[in-house]
Amino acid sequence: MSNTPLIQIRNLSKSYGSKLVLKNLSLDIYPGQVIGYIGPNGAGKSTTVKILTGLIPEFEGEVLVNGISMQSNPQEIKKLIGYVPENAELYEVLTPMEYLDFIGKLYNMEDEQLHSRASRLLTAFGLGNNKDDRMDTFSKGMRQKVLLISGIIHNPQIIILDEPLSGLDANAVIMIKELIMRLSQEGKTIFYCSHVMDVVEKVSDRILLINKGEIIADGTFESLKQNHADTLERVFAKLTGRDESDNETDAIINAFN
Amino acid sequence: MNKLLLKMVSPLMPMLQRTGVDTYQLHHILRVKLLMDDRRPNNTFAHTRKAAANGKTTNPWAVSLFTVTMGLFIGAFLVMFDAPFIGHTIYFSIFMVLISLTLITDFTTVLFDVREQFIILPRPVNDRTLAVARIMHISLYVFRLAFLQGLAGMVIVGYTDGILAVPVFLVQLVMATFLSILFVNIVYLLLMQSVSPQRFKDIISYFQIGLSVFIFAAYQILPRVINASALAKIELLSQWWAYLLPPVWIAALNEVLMHPGRSNIFTSLMAIIGITLPIAGLWLVAKVLAPGFNKRLAVVSTSDANTDAKPLIDKAEKKGRFDIVDKLANIIARDPVENAGFKITWKLAARIREFKIKVYPAFGYVPVYFVFFILNRQGSLNNRMEDVQSGYSYIALIYMSTFVLSAVLQHISYSEKFKPAWVYYALPIDKPGKILSGMYKAVISLYYLPYCAVLGIISIVVWGPDVINDVILATLAGMNYGIFMALFMVKGLPFSKPVLVKQSGGRVIISLLITFFIGAVGFGHYMLVKMKWNTAVSILIVPAFLLYLLMMYYYKRQSWESIEQEEF
Repeated sequence: MSNTPLIQIRNLSKSYGSKLVLKNLSLDIYPGQVIGYIGPNGAGKSTTVKILTGLIPEFEGEVLVNGISMQSNPQEIKKLIGYVPENAELYEVLTPMEYLDFIGKLYNMEDEQLHSRASRLLTAFGLGNNKDDRMDTFSKGMRQKVLLISGIIHNPQIIILDEPLSGLDANAVIMIKELIMRLSQEGKTIFYCSHVMDVVEKVSDRILLINKGEIIADGTFESLKQNHADTLERVFAKLTGRDESDNETDAIINAFN
Repeated sequence: MNKLLLKMVSPLMPMLQRTGVDTYQLHHILRVKLLMDDRRPNNTFAHTRKAAANGKTTNPWAVSLFTVTMGLFIGAFLVMFDAPFIGHTIYFSIFMVLISLTLITDFTTVLFDVREQFIILPRPVNDRTLAVARIMHISLYVFRLAFLQGLAGMVIVGYTDGILAVPVFLVQLVMATFLSILFVNIVYLLLMQSVSPQRFKDIISYFQIGLSVFIFAAYQILPRVINASALAKIELLSQWWAYLLPPVWIAALNEVLMHPGRSNIFTSLMAIIGITLPIAGLWLVAKVLAPGFNKRLAVVSTSDANTDAKPLIDKAEKKGRFDIVDKLANIIARDPVENAGFKITWKLAARIREFKIKVYPAFGYVPVYFVFFILNRQGSLNNRMEDVQSGYSYIALIYMSTFVLSAVLQHISYSEKFKPAWVYYALPIDKPGKILSGMYKAVISLYYLPYCAVLGIISIVVWGPDVINDVILATLAGMNYGIFMALFMVKGLPFSKPVLVKQSGGRVIISLLITFFIGAVGFGHYMLVKMKWNTAVSILIVPAFLLYLLMMYYYKRQSWESIEQEEF
């Protein structure tokens, strides 16, 4: 791994009104790392991702990607990043080919390269026969695949995946997990957000746990295990302050009486 | 057609490039947006054109043709009158109303496209490119619409006023469009200032309903109005308020330039206003209104994050309404399952926008039909009114309101979001008929009875209190008609089937038979009243009510075998 960080976040803060969502976040991410980014709902996970992808232009602190500042030149950074958002938004009246053509052109890709890459990727993801069907007939898993392809179509340096496995069947999940490893071997940096702990545990070589706008754990799964508990799920529960889980289930059981 | 539009804007590209717009990206964003517009199901004409209902997308050429036809239709006004101003004023009034309503209803979905944030924003597209793409998309949409709608008028004017009138007419069209844009902007801004995003979308759907009724009324009534001799003789400019109407200013343009002989200083002044005001208005939109508009828009489209709009009052208000529905449900539908069917139908029907857009126009169609009937009579307007008052047409009015009932019943089982209906099939419900009867009762008490009550009150005011028994009998007959319809045709649980399913042929025949039947009943009722057998009408109320109870009893006993289930 190289010694200059690819992504540098310094004292990043973001507030909505009086509510502070991110508190002085500082982070260095190196090329080739697979970051597992986890945290409870409302911890500030998606805010971080939205700042990194340029969706939220206003924040305090500094975000540098490949030495470029997010405030001064977001467009250059966006070229380096591929983003697969959580909420599976795409223009479903288009066909996958039309959609990928559109996305690729927004990255200023050449027609020829774009088309051959799009159809090869679609075939590789098992959508070769559906590439000219409109996506409004697609299942959730099929849409998710198109979304994944649209995130990597321009061969980005950094890939940000937000809950990328939703709706995918077991075979596709295995495929994506392998793909993440392969992409990391190719030197891509991957930022992986998820609530599914055992996947995060397996794919990431560095895990960041965010709670209430602060990073409260940072390290390999091995190092987190030593300090806290034996599975990532337990680590998560312990660090986010939910160790007396009996109380909650007690209350639920008692509600029937 | 899209390629043509894209070619038309290409001369602007070099200039835009100099201001920092990525024209390559701009071209492709516009191309995809226009493509998606074509594939988007068209809201505006969903009722007037049946095709929209059974296909997911509408053929763009068909929509264009419809717009051109509408333009031809209103273009008839241009040649209808000899008196100055009238023709052009009426033409541009309708033109502007149509443009404004279409803009509000059809384009709102485009304006509130949240997906753009997740699809385009993460890509390396700069803000200026995106903003320009948005403005150009809207402009292309508006001017395509205005051009198609004005096409027929242009030909007509060229024929009557000479070829020189065509460029003048083009200017008039542009000015009318500018004014419509100004109007729409003001409406949007006022709405966004005063209501929450959720309410805003609801209000927009009411505009949609209004547009449907307007188009329907235009088709049904306008041809009759044109024959009314009174209108042709109106000296428009002798009325002081005429000077305040924007369409008059625009009409003045044609007067001054094409008929200089009959124009005076006032006409010229108005023509000048007709040119300057729209341009000033557009400047106002661009400089003052649009920035604030975009800010508010951003709030609306990301509304899930901003729910700080006085939740306390809302809750209290909701609780109040909740209680009324609950109490009503407990009185009318006592059985727990029926009660559930009643409440779910009531709440969903009142809240699902798509349902309201399809059904609510029917409420407007009934009065339109009625007016149409009246206009169909002979004699002057005043004579006709007297005719109506001495006749018994209120009976027709109430019987016609079964139209509302049938519109509701036709749509009540369908929804684009039918999936949540799985609960009906997953829960141990022994008699789904109970849900159906709850549904029917909700439909009756939410829509039909209040509607009949309003019509009944109007009838009593116009025709006197003697008509009460007629109103009650007609209402009951309508309820019987409805439950007949429901027994034979409504085989789906509330909002449980996808919209695409077509009606089978046999059903259409049944539907016609039932409609014929209610027509016959209505005619019988009419004959009774005409022969002054008022007691008979009062007595008939009892068997009508008993019949209703009997059919309700059968409806409630429907089993799963007779329900059409959707596979999940």
